[in-house]
Amino acid sequence: MKHIYQKIKEDPRFRELESKRRNFTWLMVGIMLANDFWYICATAFYPEHGYARFWGTPIGEGYATTWGIVIGFLQTILFIVLVGVYIYRANNEFDTLKDAIVADARRAAGEKP
Amino acid sequence: MKILRASSLLLLATPLAALAQAAAAPPKLNVIAISMFLVFVAVSLGITVWAAFRTKNTSDFLAAGGRISGFQNGLAITGDWCSSAALMGIAALIYTTGFDGLIYSVVPFGAWPLMMFLMADRLRNLGKYTIADIVSLRFDRVQIRTLVAVSSLVFVIGYLIVQLVGAGTLISNLFGLPYATAEMIIGVLIVLYVAFGGMIATTYVQLVKAVLLLSGASFITFAVLARFNWSPDALYAAAASIHPSKEAVMQPGGLLPDPISAISCGIMLLFGGAAMPHVLMRFFTVPNAREARKSVFYAASFIGYFYLLTFVIGYGAIAFVMKDPRFLDANGAIIGGPNMAAIHLSEAMGGDYFLGYIAAVAFATIVAVVAGLTIAGASAISHDLYANVFRHGKATDREVVKVSRIAAVVIGVIGIVLGIAFKDQNIAYMIVIPFTVSSSVFFPLLFLSMYWRGLTTTGAVVGGSVALVMGIVLLVLGPTMWKEILGHAEAIFPYKYPALFTITTSFLTMIIVSKLDTSDRAKREIAEFDDQFVRSQTGLGAEEAAQH
Repeated sequence: MKHIYQKIKEDPRFRELESKRRNFTWLMVGIMLANDFWYICATAFYPEHGYARFWGTPIGEGYATTWGIVIGFLQTILFIVLVGVYIYRANNEFDTLKDAIVADARRAAGEKP
Repeated sequence: MKILRASSLLLLATPLAALAQAAAAPPKLNVIAISMFLVFVAVSLGITVWAAFRTKNTSDFLAAGGRISGFQNGLAITGDWCSSAALMGIAALIYTTGFDGLIYSVVPFGAWPLMMFLMADRLRNLGKYTIADIVSLRFDRVQIRTLVAVSSLVFVIGYLIVQLVGAGTLISNLFGLPYATAEMIIGVLIVLYVAFGGMIATTYVQLVKAVLLLSGASFITFAVLARFNWSPDALYAAAASIHPSKEAVMQPGGLLPDPISAISCGIMLLFGGAAMPHVLMRFFTVPNAREARKSVFYAASFIGYFYLLTFVIGYGAIAFVMKDPRFLDANGAIIGGPNMAAIHLSEAMGGDYFLGYIAAVAFATIVAVVAGLTIAGASAISHDLYANVFRHGKATDREVVKVSRIAAVVIGVIGIVLGIAFKDQNIAYMIVIPFTVSSSVFFPLLFLSMYWRGLTTTGAVVGGSVALVMGIVLLVLGPTMWKEILGHAEAIFPYKYPALFTITTSFLTMIIVSKLDTSDRAKREIAEFDDQFVRSQTGLGAEEAAQH
């Protein structure tokens, strides 16, 4: 197994896969954490700061629904979408590249792919 | 402040009322609920018998042979994740404090994208049966496994007590059975599922339960919305007019006492949720990383959908239960406490039959979650402690399966004994124990070992142990334990949720101690990161691990 790992490490496409995946992962983590902490901070600092006070304001004249409810609802949907976007890219683009790298490394190491 | 005063009055009134009620009328046997639950028991025992014939080796017992599909596993994870707390607890919190109850929906749901982006692939590619497998790839097997196994057991037992005590109370209320009988029934079922059917039975029981729970919650939601002509705003307006805190019920700020507690609670739910051993070990039941990702996607969709329903169910309980004399005692307090809000709501929406259905689902939910926890505990004992620490990897397959079965029975018995011992205790705070452990020990450990080459055994073990001990000490010295339970005048540690402090300490200790560790072993471990990294990205080497 060690020699196949070595072949993979030497493959420039592996470096490419790794950096693509890393940038994409941290972008997604960033979006997710920003949203979660927005929610946490709104609960923590309500009603002292403007961005938090806005959470308790109704969405319009005559409505009981507040922005907090709307944002929480949309965030939940956003999280499902983020997971969907990630799996789409990982199962297509990343996996295709990964399979090619692994197959070549196996061939180069004298194994059948 | 007004809200606080009103609710503390309610709290004072409740125990007295409950006593009076208990003396007047013993709970009557709910025949519909019991028969529906018996159907669930018959189906799940059928599954167990079928699973027992398919369970031949350790891989079958602890990881269902790696043969579960992404979709099935997604549903089973939904079953593991949505404990009865998710249905009844969130509804109860919204019922009493309004908007902030939703912090238990939205914030921990963030754990799912987090698990997808950071954990799913790598866990599946690196692990075999338990999360300790991942960290023991490059670290000292005995030390790291001992730490992870001990922490897992603290996690499992803490979580079990919450589930079992909650279950006993709920079941005696709903089914009209004595508390101890309810505990026994749960205990016997768990031991049957886990000891005979292993992970295969546990998976299918979770799957059935997840479907039952999702359909029940959907029915409540649509029934509530239908009464308001499908206008959520009309529901929220009704809730705000009925609830004692009026419009504040739609605003943040009612639940958590200060910003530090709120932030600490939030990150505990988020990072703790992303590193729970009984959920993560489900990633090993699928054949590869691709299916692991699919299971996260399905799980996130189902769980997200469930959390969206809580936006309606909680406020529905305010609208339909808070003013209905059927659900209130002589003093106007809710019968059975706020935890019963969702259950009463189901009666208000669907009558006796639907109440029976939801009661049976609640029972099934508890049984299934406890089964998932039990197998996580059993794997920590058999695979981590027995096979790898005591026998140094030389135990045979047959021995490991045997120890797993015995461990399942022992954990079941411990659970029942503690469940009975903690009867009538306020155990809601105990859910903080497992979440503190997973957020401060498992999350930093898994994250650093997979993403930071510099982590060494010494750093991991010192950091993890410090976090574990510190978490427990701060919980004991905190307001809930020290002040409310032990009766001291002032808490030594002022916050209910120590996670903010323990997570930070855990990361810092692991990093600093690893940096200071210049031993040969540390150098070797750092050098091994590259191979581990290739394996975590490609899954090469994982196939071999999965075939036994």
